[in-house]
Amino acid sequence: MQDQTNAADSSEPLRLVLYVAGQTPKSMAAIANLERICAENMPGKYVVEVIDLKKTPQLAREHNILAIPTLVRQLPTPMRKIIGDLSDLEKVLVHLKVGE
Amino acid sequence: MAIDVSDYGQLSAHELRQRLEEAEETLRAIREGEVDALMVRNPRSEDEVFTLEGDASYYAFMEAMDLGAAAFDESNRLLYANKALRELLRLPEDNVDASHLSNALDEEARFLVSGLMKEARSAKKTGEIRVFVGKDELHLLVTAAPLHIGANRGLAVTFTDITAKVRAAAAEASERAAHSIIASANEAVVVCDVDGVVTHANAAVASIYAGNPVGRVFGEVIPLTLPDTTGLLQASDVIALAIAGTSVQGIEALAPDAPRVRDLLLSAAPLRVGSDKVSGCVITMVDLSQRKAAEKQQLLLMGELDHRVKNTLALVLSICKRTASTEETVQGFQVAFSGRIQALAATHNLLADRSWSSISIAEVVNAELDPFVSRNQTRLSVGGLDALVMPRAAIALGLVIHELATNAVKYGALSREGGRVHVLVSKKPDDAFLGIEWVESGGPTVSPPSKRGFGQTVITRSLQYSANGGAEIDYPAEGVRCRIRIPEEDLVRS
Repeated sequence: MQDQTNAADSSEPLRLVLYVAGQTPKSMAAIANLERICAENMPGKYVVEVIDLKKTPQLAREHNILAIPTLVRQLPTPMRKIIGDLSDLEKVLVHLKVGE
Repeated sequence: MAIDVSDYGQLSAHELRQRLEEAEETLRAIREGEVDALMVRNPRSEDEVFTLEGDASYYAFMEAMDLGAAAFDESNRLLYANKALRELLRLPEDNVDASHLSNALDEEARFLVSGLMKEARSAKKTGEIRVFVGKDELHLLVTAAPLHIGANRGLAVTFTDITAKVRAAAAEASERAAHSIIASANEAVVVCDVDGVVTHANAAVASIYAGNPVGRVFGEVIPLTLPDTTGLLQASDVIALAIAGTSVQGIEALAPDAPRVRDLLLSAAPLRVGSDKVSGCVITMVDLSQRKAAEKQQLLLMGELDHRVKNTLALVLSICKRTASTEETVQGFQVAFSGRIQALAATHNLLADRSWSSISIAEVVNAELDPFVSRNQTRLSVGGLDALVMPRAAIALGLVIHELATNAVKYGALSREGGRVHVLVSKKPDDAFLGIEWVESGGPTVSPPSKRGFGQTVITRSLQYSANGGAEIDYPAEGVRCRIRIPEEDLVRS
């Protein structure tokens, strides 16, 4: 698991869950892309949880995950899903509504 | 897929629309290759990750492995050949297909691999093939096993290079064979390293050196002298020559300290294992004892022959002189002389056949009487003539029998129909001789000769070379009688 938080921020942070499948190339790419996007575009405004479904496949049910990698914006609601390796920055930012 | 459909009826239109968007997005992501794994539900109704075909990490793993691997589909189309296999069989880097693999194999290997692939549809099969890659001969262990790629069935075939193992096994077998050849050789075989230290010695070496020579310097454990060389060449030089790369063959050597075999034929050859570099020498030592003994026997026989020729010539000269002095006509001389020489020759022939060893009295008597009684077998009776005599006695006896037979044909029992000759052997325990009785009967009335001829001399004197030998002839009216004594020292004990 990989967590990154910034408790000093007063506003409610983005709560993100990234579902990966072990060390597959798309999973690794998704992790790297998310780290970069968060650091560059919303420093201190996010909490990320990475779930490896190879180790805990039963956790896929919670967010009805079908394809891997998938990023879930848990908070703020409504919940949003971004399927893929997060290489399209614009698409990711639109889905996360960063900057609204 | 792990889509939970049970609660679709309770979802709002908004939620349903959201689910539909999600499903479309998932399909798009799969289609565009943005995902490389899916959640599936296994037969036990558990969720698990299914890695999609073309998984790069799996591919990378396959590329990195040392083992040559290939995947085939149901129609035996080559789907994939990893880097190790491409390098092993020198297949092209890109667009490898089954024909490339097929061309890399010869007919025999192709037949075996296709057989394995056919049988491996149901269970894993393994076989060995030999392939030539360039000039290199490779031995490969081929394993074919069923492979399930998603819903498709195919074959996984691996090629393991076992050339080194096969060569090691062949080398080991070859070494075992070489060991057994050396061990089985009749000749003593010693292998030395470049320092002349013995590394191998076969069982035959025990006849030359009683201990175990391995680990010791050859020249110290088996000192040899070379009697036929001038002294310039010594045994140590022979070994040094072989180690330097020059073969030395067939030098007679003497092993003065050897327990059994002292006379040897020494050869030494350089030992080359694998390369041209000499790594020692192989020394063979052939047992010459029997040949030496044969040479000694030959020398002895040559001496014996020389002695006998001289004796025979002296005997012939004497027979010639004495026959000439007793025969009154040239014709008479010719008949008598040639008869005596023939008698001598008959016994010589017999002795030559026996390599001048002992022969039986019966053989001598038969040889001498053959010219006279072969037509008259019923007129001759012989008995107890099986005793063996030495050549000296055989020659003398031959001459005596010849004279008696000549007399019998000319004047005695064999000169008339109804005449008979009995030849009997008698040996009393105290006698220092073997007695042979010549008894004629049925011939004309006998009277003693008016003068002593050479024939009589031959009869009485031929066996007198020993005090125990000799012969006496009597002339009773009913037939000639002769008692011959073969000296016991010339009898061969059976």
